[in-house]
Amino acid sequence: MALIELNEVSKVYGFGDASTLALDEATLTIEKGEFVAIMGPSGSGKSTLMNVIGLLDRPSHGVFMLDGKSVSKLKPNQAAKARRDTIGFIFQSFNLLPRLSVLENVALPLAYRGLSLSRRTKQASNMLERVGIQDREYFLPNQLSGGQLQCAAIARALVNNPKLIIADEPTGNLDSAASRLVMELLSEIHKTGNTVLFVTHNPELTRYATRVVYMHDGSIIHDEPTALGQVAATARKVLYTLSTTSEDDDLAGVSALMMALPTKPAERKPRKVTKGKPAKSTIRRTSKSDKASK
Amino acid sequence: MKSLTRGHLKAGFDSVRRAKMRNFWTMLGIIIGVASVITIVSIGEGVKVQIAQQVSKSGKNLITIRPGTVNINDGQNQNFNVLAGLSITGSLRPQDADIVTKSKLVTASAPLAAISTKVVSEPAGQFRNGVVIGTTPDFPTLVNQSLAYGVFLAPDDMGMNVAVIGEDAADKMFDVDVPLGHAFTIGGEEFIVRGILEDFNNTPLSDRANYNSAIFIPYDVAQKLTKDNAVVYEILAKTANENDIQPAIADIEKNLQASHGGQEDFSVLEPNEAVAVKNNVLTLMTGLISGVAAISLLVGGIGIMNVMLVSVTERMHEIGIRKAIGATNRQILSQFMIESSLLSLTGGIIGVVIAFALDGLLRFFTNLRPVITWEVVLIAFGVSLIVGIIFGSIPALKAAQKDPIEALRSQ
Repeated sequence: MALIELNEVSKVYGFGDASTLALDEATLTIEKGEFVAIMGPSGSGKSTLMNVIGLLDRPSHGVFMLDGKSVSKLKPNQAAKARRDTIGFIFQSFNLLPRLSVLENVALPLAYRGLSLSRRTKQASNMLERVGIQDREYFLPNQLSGGQLQCAAIARALVNNPKLIIADEPTGNLDSAASRLVMELLSEIHKTGNTVLFVTHNPELTRYATRVVYMHDGSIIHDEPTALGQVAATARKVLYTLSTTSEDDDLAGVSALMMALPTKPAERKPRKVTKGKPAKSTIRRTSKSDKASK
Repeated sequence: MKSLTRGHLKAGFDSVRRAKMRNFWTMLGIIIGVASVITIVSIGEGVKVQIAQQVSKSGKNLITIRPGTVNINDGQNQNFNVLAGLSITGSLRPQDADIVTKSKLVTASAPLAAISTKVVSEPAGQFRNGVVIGTTPDFPTLVNQSLAYGVFLAPDDMGMNVAVIGEDAADKMFDVDVPLGHAFTIGGEEFIVRGILEDFNNTPLSDRANYNSAIFIPYDVAQKLTKDNAVVYEILAKTANENDIQPAIADIEKNLQASHGGQEDFSVLEPNEAVAVKNNVLTLMTGLISGVAAISLLVGGIGIMNVMLVSVTERMHEIGIRKAIGATNRQILSQFMIESSLLSLTGGIIGVVIAFALDGLLRFFTNLRPVITWEVVLIAFGVSLIVGIIFGSIPALKAAQKDPIEALRSQ
């Protein structure tokens, strides 16, 4: 039984003329124990896919089976409990609560499960030992380096023994040394049998993955298995895997794709790898990045 | 689940501590409300206790006769002019004192007649604050008052120019500690100080004159000084025991009515009635002012709601994180409810502390003796907690119902 089964899942934001199709009939099956990298340009729907899989968002259409159960129509409280018990989140900006110590941060998911203080402190402490920052237990997040923060965030994601780890650009705010540390850690978690799903812009990081999924304009356009330790075949060629610009640029509407276009027109090949694409919907035809590529 | 609540409590304390100034201003409404409600109610209670003490001191068998009729709240007539003196429609005459004395079952009685004349003493000069009261030897027995020095007017003293003065009067009129035997003048006539009364326990809202600065002279001398125009404002009478009160009152009323030509232009009050008059007024006043103070609790609650709304907006990202890692709406709700309840409860505690401080100050600087009962403290506490829960629920609901993605996106 697959851990994640998405069947023609769509997500529409807004109403009428202002509606955007963030996820366009995505179909994806992820087995237990896979280490999946998700790549794609800004605005390609990676985050929406992550939010839907992470039960933070409900799909507008389609069926989503998580661990054999249909979760596309969960109520907010049921979703919260499912998140708590089956999913661990790792964010680009770490998202530790600044006023709690590292230990308290890691213990927080256990608190929401109703464990006693002594039990959750012990478990959280063990988890911090596993990620190698037990000596920083009583530090506040602002006293830690980026790499240590992400380790703490990973510990928090792991503390409930989730079936699935979702990491949204876990190395996006880290230098290369810290990135390697974090990826090694994720890799180790994967080796112990966890399923890991992570978003990245860096082709080098596909070395850690067993499978790479490419997205564009809300659709999954390519899906390839890759050997551990090797950069995925397509990853390097894909234009839009150029690292994104800063978040400020994103907010200003300047995507990496648009900035890269004039200087590297020859590299627009990756479209060719598209296979078995469903017919484009009307909404997609009017979307922003489509116009840019024409 | 219990340990999570403890975590929320700790987080609540942290956030209350963190923004000390802001939270102080937030709680101010609650603090003022709680402090003023407790203080006002305790003053009212205190006055009631003092009046009761006064009654029990002067005895449960003291009958007071006043000019005019006093309306007492009898359940049908909600009259507000219950203060004696506001509704005087008649008068007591000098000979009424004799009638009371001769009535059945009366063991002791004394008229009180105030006269207005110039009081001059050496070395202080004119003593303007005192009241000169003409009375008879029974007076100290009637109000259970003893003398600090000397003796009270004796039956033999009737017709003689002697005086017994209150403690304050003694202080202000003479520069010696015990001015027994010293002379001073009332209306040009020389009087000798015969005795000094002990401190009268003066109660607030009392309808008695301030006896501490009074000068008591024989009744007939007072009448002589004013050429029989001294106004008898009160006649006190006493019976042997409480059981005799009702028959005695009936007899006094009958005799006085006969003497006043059948007019009932006087009141014969039993001890409780004299108290009832004041308790009515007190209850009304306490209720009214407490009501006004309670409005400040409401305003304080709105203040808490506003600050919590700001706090929820500021911490939207935190709410997003908590939801992402598995907090249910209910858990977020309880987190913010606990925080706002803590705010209002802390305000309540500070308010109670301030009320106790005010109580001390009032006792020190005034003759009020406020009584803070545990009931009023409990009620004030409860109300502030309820205010926190009611007004905290709106921001807490807002936080709980926030979409996790939207919350995560906000910084």
